[in-house]
Amino acid sequence: MARRHAVQQEETEINITPMLDIVFIMLIFFIVTTSFIKETGIDPNRPEAETAYKQERGNILIAVNEAGDIWMNKRKVELGQVRQLVEQAKNESPESSVVIIADQKSSTGALIDLMDQIRLGGVANISVAAELAGG
Amino acid sequence: MRHRVSSHAEEAEINITPMLDIVFIMLIFFIVTTSFVKEVGLDVNRPSNAPIKEQKISEVVAIRIDENGTISVQNREVDIRAVRANIESELATKPEASVVVISDRNADAGILVKVIDQARVAGAEKVSLAAMAR
Repeated sequence: MARRHAVQQEETEINITPMLDIVFIMLIFFIVTTSFIKETGIDPNRPEAETAYKQERGNILIAVNEAGDIWMNKRKVELGQVRQLVEQAKNESPESSVVIIADQKSSTGALIDLMDQIRLGGVANISVAAELAGG
Repeated sequence: MRHRVSSHAEEAEINITPMLDIVFIMLIFFIVTTSFVKEVGLDVNRPSNAPIKEQKISEVVAIRIDENGTISVQNREVDIRAVRANIESELATKPEASVVVISDRNADAGILVKVIDQARVAGAEKVSLAAMAR
């Protein structure tokens, strides 16, 4: 029984269906996992904490540096603008919570004023960024 | 042996090339913009200024931080390393008590976070934050 070679007259095209499947799965994966985090623009010295955990919904980042300046979306903002900016950010992604990245040396008063403004902006879930101790 | 009949199916196919172009562009866009970095942090409960409910002073574990960073638990001055043990013993006698951190406005935020962290290690689930009156 002689084995016949497959005739390759018509089937010269590469089958791209498996590649397409993978591309679509990747696309869906990236669409689902993407969260558009806006960087604050500065990188303060975070305090250390043992019980800190990953803030899965912390998409609104606000940083406070040593001098008490507030940074959001890569620019410095005044305390009075924070409320409006938080409201805007909340409109874009209503599920988000706010993470304040406060410098170790920043004053508590600045932090508390900022928290009150964020609450006025309509976000009640506020957390303070920290580094895992010993990590 | 079955003879294959060549069909005209190829001509009837929809051209998917433009869709593929768009899909690839979307794929690249999402790959580039995705950031998997999540901030690590502590939840802080900041009660609103409106009076909600009166808390009996016996049901509160108050931790004060003054402007020099000195910490006192229930008016006893303690070291940062002893905060946890102090809160644990307070919570053992008053299991229903809520922990409130009252901080001076000029105290460092780093100390505040450390105290909240220690309170959480000691077993306090909700730690509220208050500022000393100006």
